[in-house]
Amino acid sequence: MQVIDFKCPNCGSDMVYDSESGMLSCHSCGRTDDIKLMPDPLKRNVFSEGEATEYHCKSCGAVVITDADTTATSCSFCGSGIVLGDRLTGKLAPALVIPFSISKEEAMRAFRKWCRNGRLTPNGFMTADRVKGITGMYVPFWLYELNNAVEVHAHGTRVSTYTKGDYRYTETQHFDVYRKIRLNYVDVPIDASEKMNDELMDKLEPFPYDQLKSFKTAYLAGYIAEKYNFDEKELFPRAKSKIHPFIEEYIRSTMTQYTTVNYTNKQIDTKLGHAEYALLPVWVVHYDYNKLEYTFAMNGQTGKVVGKPPISKRKVMTWFAGISASCFLSLKLISWMMGGGFW
Amino acid sequence: MRRSGLILSVVFFFFAVFLASPMEMKTAMALTPEGKQLIFDEAGLLKQEEYHELTTLAKQYGAHRETDIIILTTNNDVNGDVMKLTEDFYDEYGPGYDKPHGNAVILTLDMNNREVYLAGFYKAKTYLDDERLDKIRSKITPDLTSGDYALAFQTYMQTVDKYMGYEPGVNPDNPLFNVWVQLGASCIIGGIIVAAMVIRSGGRITINRSTYEDANTSGILDRRDQYIRTTVTKQKIQRQQSSGSGGGGGGTTGGGHSHSGSRGSF
Repeated sequence: MQVIDFKCPNCGSDMVYDSESGMLSCHSCGRTDDIKLMPDPLKRNVFSEGEATEYHCKSCGAVVITDADTTATSCSFCGSGIVLGDRLTGKLAPALVIPFSISKEEAMRAFRKWCRNGRLTPNGFMTADRVKGITGMYVPFWLYELNNAVEVHAHGTRVSTYTKGDYRYTETQHFDVYRKIRLNYVDVPIDASEKMNDELMDKLEPFPYDQLKSFKTAYLAGYIAEKYNFDEKELFPRAKSKIHPFIEEYIRSTMTQYTTVNYTNKQIDTKLGHAEYALLPVWVVHYDYNKLEYTFAMNGQTGKVVGKPPISKRKVMTWFAGISASCFLSLKLISWMMGGGFW
Repeated sequence: MRRSGLILSVVFFFFAVFLASPMEMKTAMALTPEGKQLIFDEAGLLKQEEYHELTTLAKQYGAHRETDIIILTTNNDVNGDVMKLTEDFYDEYGPGYDKPHGNAVILTLDMNNREVYLAGFYKAKTYLDDERLDKIRSKITPDLTSGDYALAFQTYMQTVDKYMGYEPGVNPDNPLFNVWVQLGASCIIGGIIVAAMVIRSGGRITINRSTYEDANTSGILDRRDQYIRTTVTKQKIQRQQSSGSGGGGGGTTGGGHSHSGSRGSF
């Protein structure tokens, strides 16, 4: 039952992770601490499981109201950022983290810009200013290392055509094709949170792995974090299905010299190398429009925005009419330039 | 008997006058300067109202393309060559929108030999070359064969008008020039682009097969490409045959007017 908060040693204010400097910083006195050099409070404590799961804010003593999956949040009473330590230890300890590089203000600005640029979103949707509810969330991901042994037997053909006299000849050369391939994938991210839409999370990729840092609780200060709902074994099938098209593409890329390829025997043996538990940064906005809720997510490092916005039928029709009309006009122009007359 | 014969002859006389009067009107109309005769239906293939309709059409299209659009039908009692007939007609009659012996396109039907000849003079020679006249002829030949002369003549006039709208040397039947093809293609392009916009509005996947691939440890361990056999199939190339009987082309009239042409039977 451990609650961790980060108090400034100078002035006692709450310190939060600053996405610009990458330091733990105090907004009151401006003190910054390098997270990499700080001892992680988690490692100095040992917790026993099965204790009462009621958390009290260290700053004001209020009961911290959280979701069962939340690992970091802010006190709803005094607003100080707190980390729920026991949900980040043992099997639940993340190995890696990519901190946010996009601040809340930047995220809000980028999201508004994205809304404005939405060519098919209704006008009312763009002007509505509800972006303030944006939350910075560390989403739990498993980063898989997958080792694949691939063996393929195939029948390949090479087709060439030529004409001689009055006949067109089609010459087909048949080949017996065999490939043995070793294909390793590293850090394939699979979102392990039940709350997050898998499709949405897939579109957020890629995350810049050069920003991967070994986990320190201080990165979570000021943000929301979740713990995983599914372990690496439960999500292994999803990881496999995710890389499956890549493997297929790779196999085909080794047989480009053939016009057609028919696989007679294909064996793909995927082994789980290891999986690492990582927290990846995502800005999330929930948005009500026309009684429907839309969820948008932004990659906290690259700024890529994903999510299905509402589509305005009127705008779709306008675009369709505009594009078709200009196409028609340019076709007319082409036919006129070719000497076909304008009408 | 004699009285009844007289009455009968009087009735016949009036009947003949009645029959002849439209013919007279026709000639009168043809002689007026603004209403020159464009259809010479010597073989009598057209009904009165068809004749009028086609004349109106010929004038309208002729003014549009500054070309006299002429139809000549003949029973060809002297059994002359259809091309020669056309040339002699041009020399004698001297049609032309701009001047005598000017821009004209002539469709000659020789009902005796069931032959059709198309000739283009001056502007019509430039805009309706042998190839285009061939196209017009193959368009109207089925209707001529089945006896729908009025329909065939109407198609002839419309096609002449249409083809003269295209610069010389281009294929007038190029699908790119077809309004419906243009309209259809634009709608398809618009549909595809808008559909792509709708699909991509939610963000798209920007990873590919090499994003997570560990290139250092991945690769082909073993490969074999064994040749088995070769099979050969052959297919006869369909050469384009000139449609139906016909051919020939242009020439020069006795009066020294060069023209394009297309002849064939129906």
